[in-house]
Amino acid sequence: MSLSKLVLRSMKKNMKHYYLYFFALIFSVTLYFSFVTLQNNAEVLATVEQSGTATAGFKAATYMLYFIVLFFVLYANHLFMKRRSKEIGLYQLIGMTKGLIVRLLAVESILLFLGAVVLGILAGFFSSRLFAMILLRVLEKEALVTMTFSTEALQQSIVVFAILLVIVLVQMAWMIYRVSLLSLFSAAKQADERVKRFSPLQMVIGFLGLIFIAYGYYASTKLFDINSQGNLTLNMIIILATTIGGTFLVFRFSVAFIMNLIRLKKNGHLTARDVLALTPIMHRMRGNAKSLTLITVLTGVSLGITTLAYISYYSSESSAYSQVPGDYVLLEDKGQEFLKKLEDNNITFDKSNFRLQSVSASFTQLLSESQQNKDNPLFGLEGIIYTIPLSDYQQIAPEASISDYDVILTNYGGYMAEMFPLEKDRDVVVTTGGLEGTEEETLHVKDVRHESIISGTVTSGPGGPIFVVPDALFEKLATHSGTSEWHKQTSIKIKNKSDSALAEKLYMQSNGEKYIESYEEQRKGNIETLGITIFTAAFLGLAFLMTTGSILYFKQMSEAEEERGSYTILRKIGFAEKDIMKGIYMKQAFNFGVPLIIGLLHSYFAVNSGWFLFGSELTAPLWIAMSCYIALYAIFAVLSVGYYKKVIRESL
Amino acid sequence: MAVLIGRKVKKVYGKKSTAQEVLKGIDLEVNKGEFVGIMGPSGSGKTTLLNVLCSIDFATEGVIEINGQNLRGMKEKTVANFRREQLGFIFQDYNLLDTLTVKENILLPLAIGRLPKSVAESRLKELTHLLGITEILNKYPNEISGGQKQRTSAARALITNPSLVFADEPTGALDSKSATALLKNLQNINESKKATIMMVTHDAVAASFCTRVLFLKDGLIYSELYKGDKTRQAFFHEIMHTQSVLGGDGYES
Repeated sequence: MSLSKLVLRSMKKNMKHYYLYFFALIFSVTLYFSFVTLQNNAEVLATVEQSGTATAGFKAATYMLYFIVLFFVLYANHLFMKRRSKEIGLYQLIGMTKGLIVRLLAVESILLFLGAVVLGILAGFFSSRLFAMILLRVLEKEALVTMTFSTEALQQSIVVFAILLVIVLVQMAWMIYRVSLLSLFSAAKQADERVKRFSPLQMVIGFLGLIFIAYGYYASTKLFDINSQGNLTLNMIIILATTIGGTFLVFRFSVAFIMNLIRLKKNGHLTARDVLALTPIMHRMRGNAKSLTLITVLTGVSLGITTLAYISYYSSESSAYSQVPGDYVLLEDKGQEFLKKLEDNNITFDKSNFRLQSVSASFTQLLSESQQNKDNPLFGLEGIIYTIPLSDYQQIAPEASISDYDVILTNYGGYMAEMFPLEKDRDVVVTTGGLEGTEEETLHVKDVRHESIISGTVTSGPGGPIFVVPDALFEKLATHSGTSEWHKQTSIKIKNKSDSALAEKLYMQSNGEKYIESYEEQRKGNIETLGITIFTAAFLGLAFLMTTGSILYFKQMSEAEEERGSYTILRKIGFAEKDIMKGIYMKQAFNFGVPLIIGLLHSYFAVNSGWFLFGSELTAPLWIAMSCYIALYAIFAVLSVGYYKKVIRESL
Repeated sequence: MAVLIGRKVKKVYGKKSTAQEVLKGIDLEVNKGEFVGIMGPSGSGKTTLLNVLCSIDFATEGVIEINGQNLRGMKEKTVANFRREQLGFIFQDYNLLDTLTVKENILLPLAIGRLPKSVAESRLKELTHLLGITEILNKYPNEISGGQKQRTSAARALITNPSLVFADEPTGALDSKSATALLKNLQNINESKKATIMMVTHDAVAASFCTRVLFLKDGLIYSELYKGDKTRQAFFHEIMHTQSVLGGDGYES
């Protein structure tokens, strides 16, 4: 029989084993090709070019994606080879040289790759259209997506997967040359290795793992706390090292140890669940610890990235609002023409006026003792703070009341407010006036609030603090109105949401007149600068998620195969399918649940430590991103339960 | 009293065109307290008969009753429960779970039932004492010898106090010393606990421990030998003789 014939025959025979590997390959090609196609799409390119960082972001993401794909395919190939170890052993037994076997498998792999690349590119071509639509949707661009087959993307994908093929072949050859004939036959059952006793030392090490993680979490909450001295980068590395190391120790030692305690307590009287979930997990932990750690960390990282990206996207509205608090904000009585146009078009709106007067003050006075150190950018800063009279403020907060020299500090928001909080119940000395002489007033900050009132243009950046002062005091301060850059802000609120589109159109006609600001324009601007980043982060997150999920699923598939013998025994001695499945549910809950839960925890603490740098909304984006992950993991868990069901049914 | 009754048991493998009749209508009865051996050359249908009788496989035709319960028409769950509660199994390749200790393996059939722990413990004590495996209860299967594994397997088969124990070549993978020890154990248990045992074997020595031996040939019962009051040695010679008449060499499974 010639080599090619043998290859075809063995491929036909192995069809069942190939599914998994083939699917992994096609999936990788699809993901990669559609991403590259997307970058070469004319509409997307046109949109992207407006923001300079996007192209670089796309490039970086492509590399990331390639590494994900590389890792995924190598893992799948490894698993695939292990499954076929018996076959490879048989070839050797009948006298084939290792070189010949490598050649045989190489031909198979090349054929597989060819097939996968063709199918993957086809699938990628269609999915890239979907992704392009999603991207443009995210950017709120209305463009028709016409997909053209990009030869550039094709070339790039082919080159990249050719390199991947070479790597896979090297891995394969290495695996074949390295192992002995005997171990090939027993690769599937390594009971001797698996079943080991558990020592008290493991408990200590396992406990250490938990402490590491706890410490890492604790340190992460203090990461951006200005009080903690020390190097930010170093702290980050410490946190990463402790949490990742801790995760490994937990998987490697704690899990098995805790389970062993439970088991010893039962003194031999195990339930069906223990037999099917507890003991196999416990004995497999040694081998699975590394991959579970990797999966957990990847889950945590990708979820963290996705959440942060989503936070900035989700916060684009609120950060736009803190820049432009109102549908439209007019400064210094500009834009009367625009208001008239609104009236002409029967658009009703609320108008609230805020008189403005600047004072200058040292921010140090508003910082708590612990915040007064030189790492704080507000420390020693002499800055302009605007004041508004109480009567104007009451348009928003009618219940507010202050008298004499009491003031309310408000409008303070964003990450500055998170990292460098200002304190109430403090006296602040402010100065007004200019060249003709200055006056000092001592104000008492009665309350600190965070509502957005005044445009970021006035407070030099969104969310800058302002003082609400009693009217009498304001009049006094306003005698120096000449030194104030701004004197009046008019906030416009469109009453009817259905008029918004028309209002925006009218606004656009005013054609960039200074000192008229539109919330909608601001929000779109935000989305445009962030959109690409968010999209790529989400895309990578998805790729990570699919890979980790598939790997868990693949692992469970091969575990199910390895345990087929046990199921046969159990069914013979009178365990019904249902009894066995009960244990399997537990096992799957563990196998998918624990990496997911620890991953979620990791990402929660990672996100929690610095989310305010990315936006102003934490809860909703975090929950939404996490729910997506949980849902997708659940799908993989259900798939693997299905596979177990099949194996168990066939086992008798 | 008959524990097991088989009437006109037939088993056909394969589709119509390639059908192969392995069991061609077997009638048998096993009474309580009997130790029955099934012998026959390879391909005679020994293991198939055992599988069919013990509900692991289904008979194509015929009636099988264990303790008056007809196996046909039982649901998967009921059959499994029945197997667990009424039957015990000893297999040639032990069929122990690697990840469980000897004790856990023995108590495995009780994992689903609701037997009180104390009862289970006392049964375990009695059985492990009888079988001489008290010392290895906390070891894993890969730490013990083949003979010990098979005795563990026997203990597991007996822990539920089954009406009937099926043993499929239990000595097949053992050296002669361990094999004899195991058979003596089985004989002992058969006598002291009045356990009913049905054993498939190709080994005449093993069969000589039984109280009755059935000979299978080409899917039919060819003959039957009772030990009666004969010594084991005499019974062994009788078995050998029948076997040579039967024509199989008897040394393959």
